[in-house]
Amino acid sequence: MHVIEQGKGEVFSKITPDEFREHMMLKAERANIDKRMDLKDAIRQFVKNGDYLSVGGCSIVRLPMAFIHEALRQGLRFRMAAGTRTYDVDLLLDNDRISEIDIGYVLGLEMLGLPLYTRTRVKEKMNNGELRLCEWSNGTMAWRHKAAAMGVPFLPVRSLAGTDTFKYSAAKKIKCPFTNMDVVLVPALYSDVAVIHVHKADKHGNCRIDGMLNEDLDKARSAKNLIITTEEIIDTEEIRKDGSKTVIPQFYVDAVVEIKYGAYPTNMPGLYYLDLEHLKSYARAAEDKSGKALRNYYNEYVYGTSNFQEFLEKCGGQKRLDELRRIELLEKKDEKVKDLELIEGRA
Amino acid sequence: MFMTEKKPYNPIELMAIIASRYLEDGKLIFAGTGIPMLAAALAQKLHAPNLILVFEAGGIAPKASMLPLSVADSRTTYGAICCANMPEAMEMLQKGLVTYSFLGGAQIDKYGNLNSTVIGDDYYNPKTRLPGSGGANELGSLAWKTNIIMNHSRRRFVEKLDYITTPGYLDGPGARERAGLPAGTGPHLVFSELGVFDFDEESKRMRLKAVLPGIDKQKIIDETGFELLIPEKIITEKEPTEEELRILREEVDPWRVVLSRGDKPAPTAVPVQKAHDRVYGQNENSRSGT
Repeated sequence: MHVIEQGKGEVFSKITPDEFREHMMLKAERANIDKRMDLKDAIRQFVKNGDYLSVGGCSIVRLPMAFIHEALRQGLRFRMAAGTRTYDVDLLLDNDRISEIDIGYVLGLEMLGLPLYTRTRVKEKMNNGELRLCEWSNGTMAWRHKAAAMGVPFLPVRSLAGTDTFKYSAAKKIKCPFTNMDVVLVPALYSDVAVIHVHKADKHGNCRIDGMLNEDLDKARSAKNLIITTEEIIDTEEIRKDGSKTVIPQFYVDAVVEIKYGAYPTNMPGLYYLDLEHLKSYARAAEDKSGKALRNYYNEYVYGTSNFQEFLEKCGGQKRLDELRRIELLEKKDEKVKDLELIEGRA
Repeated sequence: MFMTEKKPYNPIELMAIIASRYLEDGKLIFAGTGIPMLAAALAQKLHAPNLILVFEAGGIAPKASMLPLSVADSRTTYGAICCANMPEAMEMLQKGLVTYSFLGGAQIDKYGNLNSTVIGDDYYNPKTRLPGSGGANELGSLAWKTNIIMNHSRRRFVEKLDYITTPGYLDGPGARERAGLPAGTGPHLVFSELGVFDFDEESKRMRLKAVLPGIDKQKIIDETGFELLIPEKIITEKEPTEEELRILREEVDPWRVVLSRGDKPAPTAVPVQKAHDRVYGQNENSRSGT
């Protein structure tokens, strides 16, 4: 098939559909086992240095922060998918843990602006070759995950054409053999490992998520290894009462790790709002171009803690978490009056 | 800011009200957070009750009293008719369901092309690295009518972009179609704190459509880094009405999550925090950062 035009970017993840099929054949045998374990075990078993990583959630919502912290403590480095990523990827970039990155959107902290240290380091590292970047868009990143989840090598799409975003991507443009129209092809994106934080999961890994799903259904279905961190573990009988609520079925899942408040300080829809105070303290530290303020931030909150619970305690513990829950539930005042009173009574 | 005269509204309120007047009823709109969402929600309450908001992370037609701080915020799915996902939202655009998208950028040129990736002419060694496309490329490629919101200055309205992140009319008439983008799409209106702009049907170049209340045409020409088409007849936008201001303040953003950003000249994190404090109270348990 004749390629009309192609981007100069590189395809970073080299996993092919056939390689993935072989992997899934073996993985299916483990579908029905009890996958509960702690985070350190999950990482030991399913994450390797240099893996191509994708993580769940979007923007400052439902990010798997407990995993990010543990990965930082263990010194892991990744190549990475970055649809709309913010705080999670900033933490990895600040600590020089990413060597190759497919981006839709990085660096921004939404209303808190663009952290100066992080964006200066990215610029330096792009210039000296330590960080290699491939440009995409949120739509094409989502479709790349989707192609992989479908088990096909690429998908035709109708965006990117005519722009520098196309030029610096690894997309190709062809004439559609059926309609004769020009279409852009984006390559399937399989991950070595995906980590997704969910609301509820059973011990086999059947997952429920409230609120937006972003790219998580496809990321879960196209990763060789999938670690689920969950606010709560529920009985399989509970899952079976309404299978329509299962958005990720067990056969994709390798590890189920219960970590309450595992998305803090990001927003967990229906459970707790983002902690703007904490995010602001990070954003302030990132404004120090020398990196000193950030080193203090990391020494205090990540390297100076041995697990996520200690981090939560340092951030104000249950009292702060209750406040964030109250903010999250403001919209549901009528439905959850009892719940609110309970929290307000404790505060 | 260019408003020296004391007005009974701030620039964010003004831009949201002006933009809301241009949104037709019965359409789907892909809106980012900030002014686009204010405009869409205000239009819904005034003249477009059947306008449907879609957020890229999957929230569709939410019903929250507080405005979301991001496109994935739980308030984009509270009371929503559907919690979808990114591919579905983007495919709604790709299939032609979505009339309006609403975008911003760091730079815009006369064909409505947008840059949100790098400032500086060397991609590998830029002056400033920006976040990249995000969903902008799809919004600008696939919506029938792309609306754009920009702060107005010669640094932002430029003759040549450093990088085309999101397509406008590319290099002129027919260029989108030649590149393979869906026919009949492209930039529709540009809103700034000085004026409203559309695109000439033949040349596809940006044209002044309306000046905002109290703004002089020459001011707009001076603040634009490329030659703007100036038609003979230019409308002056009407001042915000009391009803528009009341609904915007009392019903659309009663917590002033976004509106408060216009209370100070430089929209930074600070006013948002003020709004946040107003909404949630000062955090008595405030921890020292670093």
